[in-house]
Amino acid sequence: MTKPNTGALDPQQSANSEIKSYATGFVVSLALTVGAFAALLSDLPATWKVALICVAALLQIVAHLRNFLHLSFSGRQSREDLLLVLFSVSLLAIMAGGTWYIMSDLSGRMHQASDSNAATHDVPTR
Amino acid sequence: MSGGTSPIFGNLDWNVTPYTDLLRDVNSSTIVGAGAASVLVLGGIATLLLFSWMRWWGPLYRNWLTSPDAKKIGIMYIALALVMLARGIIEGFVMRAHQATALGTLAQPEGGLVAPDHFAQLFSTHGTIMIFFVAMPLLIGLINFVLPQQLGARDMAFPVLNQVSLGLTAAGAGLIMISLLVGQFGTGGWTMYPPYTGKIFSPGEGVDYWLWAILISGMGSTLTGMNFAVTIFKERAPGMHFMRMPLFCWTSLCVAIMLIYAMPALTVSSAMLALDRYADFHFFTNDAGGNMMNYANIFWMFGHPEVYILILPAFGVFSEISSTFSGKRLYGYTSLVIASMSIAVISFTVWLHHFFTMGQSAGVNIAFGIATMIIGIPTGVKIYDWMATMWRGRVRITTPIVYLTGFFLLFVIGGLSGIILANPSIDYQVHNSTFLVAHFHNVIIPGVLYGMLAGIHYWFPKAFGFRLSETWGRRTAYLFVGGFVFTFMPLYVLGLMGMPRRSPTFQNPDFMPWMYIAAFGGVLMLCALASLTWTFWTSYRNRAALAVPGGDPWNGSTLEWSTPAPVPEWTFPCIPQVTARNEWGERKRAGDPWQAPAEYTDIEMPANTAHGLLIAIAAFALGFAMVWHIWWLAILSLLAIPGMVALRGMRVIEPTIIPAAEVEQADRRFRQQIASLTPVTRADEETERNRGVPDISEFAG
Amino acid sequence: MSESNLYPGLNLGDTHGEAHDQAETTVFGFWVFLMSDLIIFGILFAAYAAYLNPMGLAGGPGPNDLFDIKSVAIQTAFLLVGGVAYAGVSLGVKYKKGRAKLVAWLFLCAMLGTGFLFFEVKDFLSQASEGGTPQASGWLSAYWALVGLHGVHVFSGIMWILAMIGQIATRGIDDVVKVRLSMLGVFWHFLDLIWVGIFSFVFLVPLA
Repeated sequence: MTKPNTGALDPQQSANSEIKSYATGFVVSLALTVGAFAALLSDLPATWKVALICVAALLQIVAHLRNFLHLSFSGRQSREDLLLVLFSVSLLAIMAGGTWYIMSDLSGRMHQASDSNAATHDVPTR
Repeated sequence: MSGGTSPIFGNLDWNVTPYTDLLRDVNSSTIVGAGAASVLVLGGIATLLLFSWMRWWGPLYRNWLTSPDAKKIGIMYIALALVMLARGIIEGFVMRAHQATALGTLAQPEGGLVAPDHFAQLFSTHGTIMIFFVAMPLLIGLINFVLPQQLGARDMAFPVLNQVSLGLTAAGAGLIMISLLVGQFGTGGWTMYPPYTGKIFSPGEGVDYWLWAILISGMGSTLTGMNFAVTIFKERAPGMHFMRMPLFCWTSLCVAIMLIYAMPALTVSSAMLALDRYADFHFFTNDAGGNMMNYANIFWMFGHPEVYILILPAFGVFSEISSTFSGKRLYGYTSLVIASMSIAVISFTVWLHHFFTMGQSAGVNIAFGIATMIIGIPTGVKIYDWMATMWRGRVRITTPIVYLTGFFLLFVIGGLSGIILANPSIDYQVHNSTFLVAHFHNVIIPGVLYGMLAGIHYWFPKAFGFRLSETWGRRTAYLFVGGFVFTFMPLYVLGLMGMPRRSPTFQNPDFMPWMYIAAFGGVLMLCALASLTWTFWTSYRNRAALAVPGGDPWNGSTLEWSTPAPVPEWTFPCIPQVTARNEWGERKRAGDPWQAPAEYTDIEMPANTAHGLLIAIAAFALGFAMVWHIWWLAILSLLAIPGMVALRGMRVIEPTIIPAAEVEQADRRFRQQIASLTPVTRADEETERNRGVPDISEFAG
Repeated sequence: MSESNLYPGLNLGDTHGEAHDQAETTVFGFWVFLMSDLIIFGILFAAYAAYLNPMGLAGGPGPNDLFDIKSVAIQTAFLLVGGVAYAGVSLGVKYKKGRAKLVAWLFLCAMLGTGFLFFEVKDFLSQASEGGTPQASGWLSAYWALVGLHGVHVFSGIMWILAMIGQIATRGIDDVVKVRLSMLGVFWHFLDLIWVGIFSFVFLVPLA
C-alpha cells in the first residue's frame, strides 16, 4: 500500500490494490475522527481529552498523507514530496512553536499585572 | 477626503493631489510634495512621448511585455528596480536635508524642510520602496537572468507564472508610485505597526496603499520563490548535480526556500491588518481582545528571513566575482554551500531580536539573542572564504572588485554592530535610535546594493552584448562607498548620543555637525545615482567599442559564459552535458571549449502571451480600487483574475518552435566569429581589444 | 522511467517521456505552492491559539457558547467522504474509465464540498446571530479568519472542479488536463488535511 502505483502488475490487480489503499485510509480516518469526537464527549479529565484529540489528529494526518496523497520513502517522486512536506512541517513547527512561546510568555506577563480584574476570567483557558 | 463615498469614484475627489495641498498652503513641504508629483507626471509624459516618437510601443509589447523568457523578465525586474532606486535615493536625500535643517528652538520647536507628517511619509515610502521594490526586484531579476543560464536550463520551470510574478510586483510598485500623485502614503514606517496603523489612528488611504502594494507584490514574490525552487530541483542540465552547481545557484535556492516559507507570514500579517481596517476585526486593535504584539511577532517572522533573502544573492554574486576576477578557483566551495544553507534555516529562528523590548521575559530574549549570534558564524565563514579566494590571486581591480572591497570593509562593521544589537541588554540602550538605522543600512547598502550593482556590472555584457564603462563603473562604486560612509557612520554616533530614529525634529545642537556630515553623504549618494545613470548612458553610446560578441569577457568558469553576448533567446543551442563543477572552466582547461554541438534539434519555447500583463493590470486595478473604496472596480478585477486563469486553462496552448536550421545558422555564425576574434589577455581586459574571447591559456579558475 | 515513480492518476503512456517529466515538474511545483499555503494556515492556527485566552475573548461569547459539535461532525463527514470520492477521479484517469464516469465522480466531489459549505455557512450565520461576529473579539476574529479561509479554499476547490469539468468537455482528457486533475486531487486532499487540524484544534480542544 505504500506503493500504490505498481504498473508492472496487470491493471485490474493494481487498481484493486489502490482501491484497497483508499479504503484503508478511509476506515482509519473515520475511526480516528469518531475517536476524537468520542473522547470529547467522554468523562475523561480534560488533559486526557486534549491529548487523545491531538494524537488522533496527528495519526489521521499521517494516514491522509500516506493513503490519499501517496507520500512514502519509496519511489523517487513521492520521496521528494515527502521530504518537502517534512521540511515544511519542521519550519512551520519553528514558526508556530515560536509564536506560542513568545505570545504565551507575553500573555503570562500581562495577566499578572491585571489579575485583579476578575471580570474577564470567567472563561477558562484549555 | 471630504464628503461621503461615491458609488463610482469611491473616496476619490479633487482634493487628493499634492497640488491642492500646495494651493492651500505654500511652504517648503508642499513644494517638495508637488515637485515629486510633477517629476512623476512629467517623467510619465516624457516616457509616453519618447516611446511614441521612437515607435517603441510595438516592440515593447511584442518583445518584452508579452515575453515569458526568464532572461527578459529578469531585465525588466532590474529596470523596474533601478527606477524605484532613483526615487528611494532621492527620498533618502530629502530626509537627510530635512534633518540637517530640523534643529528645533524654543521659539519654534519644529522646523526643517518638510512637515512632520510629510517626513513620516518619506521614511515610510523610502523603507517600503528600498526593501520591496528595489532590493527584491533587483535580486529576483538577477536570479531570473542568471539562474537558468548557470544551470544549463532553457528557461524557468514555469515561464508564464514568472511573467505573472513580474506583473504582480510591477502592480505593487505602481501603487506606491501613484501614491505620490493621488492621496497620501502611510506614516507608520515600512513595518506599519498597529494599532497606530489601525483605522482609528490612521484613517484614510495611506496605510491601505502600503497594504495592497505589499499583498500584491508579496504574492508575486511567493510565486517567484516556487519557480526558482522547482527550476533548481527539476531543470538542471544532465550531469549538473547539486554539488556541481555554481554558488550563485545555491544562494538562489536558499532565497527560494525563504521566499516560499517567509512570504506567507507577511501575507498573513498584512491580511489581518487589512481585515482590521476594512471589516472591523480585532486582531491588532487596542480594544476587544486585539493584540498588536502578535503583529510584531508575525511580521518579523517574515522580516528576518527577508533580511537574508536580500543578502544571500549578493553573497552568491560575490562568490562568482571573487573567483573570476582573481583568476582562482573559489576557495571552500563546500563550506560556502553549508554556510548558505545554515543561514537559510537559522534565519527562521531569530525573529524576536527585532522586538527585544516588547516586554517578554529575559529568558525568551536570551534564546533569540543566542540564535542571532549563531547566525553570525556562517556569515563570517563566507567572508574568510572570499578573502582566501582572492589571496595570492591575480586580482584585477574591476568595478565588481571595487564593490567587493567596499563590501569587505563596510559589511564587517555592519555585521559587528548587528552582533552588538543581538545582545538584549545592549539592545535596550540603543533600540529605536539612529544606531539601528546605521546598522541596517550598513548591512543592506554594502551587502545588497553593492552586490547587486556588482552583479549587474558583471553580467551586463551577457544581456546586451557590450560591457559597461569600467572608468565610470569604478567612479560610481567609489561614490557609493564614500556616500555610504559619510551618510551612515554619523548615524552611529548620533544614535549613541541619543537621537531617536524617525524623528522629524530634535532640540540638541550637538547633533548638528553630524547631521551636516550625513547630509553631505546624502549629496554623495545623489552623485552616485547620477554617475550610475551616466555609466549606462555612456556605455550605450560607446557600445560598438565595448561590444563583446565572443560572450566571455571576464574569462569565466561557469556555463553562462559559453554562449554569445547578447545571449540568444534559446540560450543554449543544445542543452549542455555537465561533467564537472566549473564546467566551462574545465572545457577551457581541456582546450578548445567552443566546439559546435554534434547536431541541432528544433527548440520548443513557450509562446508569447499577454497573460501576465493582463493579470498585472487587474491586480493594479484591484489594489487601487480597494485603497479608494471603489467597490465595483474591486469586485470586477477580483473576478477578472480567476476568470483569466480559467479561460487560459480552456485553451490548448502550443509552444513556439524554433527550427533546427535557424539555431544552427546562428550558432555556426557565432563559432566562426569566435575563430575570427583575437583572444585577449587579462592585462588587456579593460581595453577595446576585449571582444569577449579570452586567452584560455591564462585560465586558472 | 519506471512506472512506480508516477503520480497516481497519471497515465501518460510510455511514449510520453518528456510530457511526463513536465507533469512531474508541474505537480511538484504545486506541492511547493501548497506548502506555502500550509504556512499561512499554520500561522493562523498559532494566532487562534494566541487569542484563546480571557484577554482575547474580551468578554464576548466563547467556544462553549458558539460551537455546535453536531454540525462540526456533519461537516467533517462531508469533507472526509468528499476527499475519498476523489479516488474515483484519480483511478478513473489512471485506468481510462472514460469521460462520463470521470465527470460523474468530479460532480460527486463538488456536491459533497457544497454540502460541507452549506453547513459551515449555516454555522457561521447562527454564530453571528448569537453575537459571535468577527467584530466581537480578537479570538472571534482569529476563528473567522482561519475557518473562513478554509471555507474559501473549499469554495475555490469546487470552482476548480467545475472548471475541470469544463475543460474535459472542451478539450477532452489530454495530458495537460490529466496533470491538472492530479493537482486538483492534491489540493482536494490537502483541504481535508487542514480540516483535520481545524476540527481537532479549533473545535474539539477548546471544548475539552
